[in-house]
Amino acid sequence: MELPFLPFPLPALPAVVPTEAYLALSGILFVLGCMGVMLRKSVLTIFMSIELMLNAVNLSFVAFARQHGQLDGHIFVFFVMAVAAAEVAVGLAIIVDIFRSRRSVDIDDVSWLKG
Amino acid sequence: MEFIVFLTVAAIAVASGLTMILQRNAMYSALFLVLNLFCVAIFYVLMGAYFLAVVQVAVYAGAIMVLILFVVMLLNVAQPEQPDRRLGVFRPFGVIAALALLTGLVAVTVRYGAPPPSEPVAGGSGASAVATPAPYVRPAPPPQSTVIVDYAGAADYGHTQELASVLFSRYLFPFEVTSILLLSAILGATILARKKPDLEEVDGVRVK
Repeated sequence: MELPFLPFPLPALPAVVPTEAYLALSGILFVLGCMGVMLRKSVLTIFMSIELMLNAVNLSFVAFARQHGQLDGHIFVFFVMAVAAAEVAVGLAIIVDIFRSRRSVDIDDVSWLKG
Repeated sequence: MEFIVFLTVAAIAVASGLTMILQRNAMYSALFLVLNLFCVAIFYVLMGAYFLAVVQVAVYAGAIMVLILFVVMLLNVAQPEQPDRRLGVFRPFGVIAALALLTGLVAVTVRYGAPPPSEPVAGGSGASAVATPAPYVRPAPPPQSTVIVDYAGAADYGHTQELASVLFSRYLFPFEVTSILLLSAILGATILARKKPDLEEVDGVRVK
């Protein structure tokens, strides 16, 4: 691509985004979700971080599917989405239940099982 | 051009993900997560997974996020997160562990790259009980391993029809099992979230 107003030539970019780029991005997003789960204390934010991790993995599934020219990765993303929907429904119900009994969404308040 | 779009959207995705986990307000967190999910949908379009992109927006950014936002508003947790009580000492270790994981993931990706395109699986390998229609078999990819082949440019890769023919032949049984999973999720959520009037408060916890 030529941009005449730039004083220097652009570095040569690949015409098609390589699979490695998607994998690296997927890794970054997964680690972000991981940090959210480990560092945050609000149950809701932890829940959303899990969604972020699921999406990162879905991204690499689709990238591999493109790499191999097969659709099995797409199918797997479908199933991950279905499981995520079920997980959200049950998980949010649990969060609402915890909030009803504890009036809090802090993960540290949910320690009834601690001996 | 495609690469420039990728870089731009990737920057937005990482920035929105970072903002999501740093944001104190759960409402803003959820909205940044929606932005992130839209970015992932754009990646799906770039990779030729058009139907998945639509499903991503409709199911993830639509249904799931609406549910999460609904609960955020329902709980209406105004107070910000309390400073750490137990986590305090271990917080740096969490960051270190996450960064180590990131280094490992990216290093492996850069060092070894993506695996070469494999030979397509011939037949359903007997896993599916359904014989017809024939399992989806893609024409053999070219043998060179390092060249990225633009499968996304193939005629109808990722279109609804091809996806459906795979889903309802080779993956028919998992598809049916998914319906049982969703049914049990409905029942579980209904039972968990209903009111329990026979509970009384003891020591700050509502018990039977």
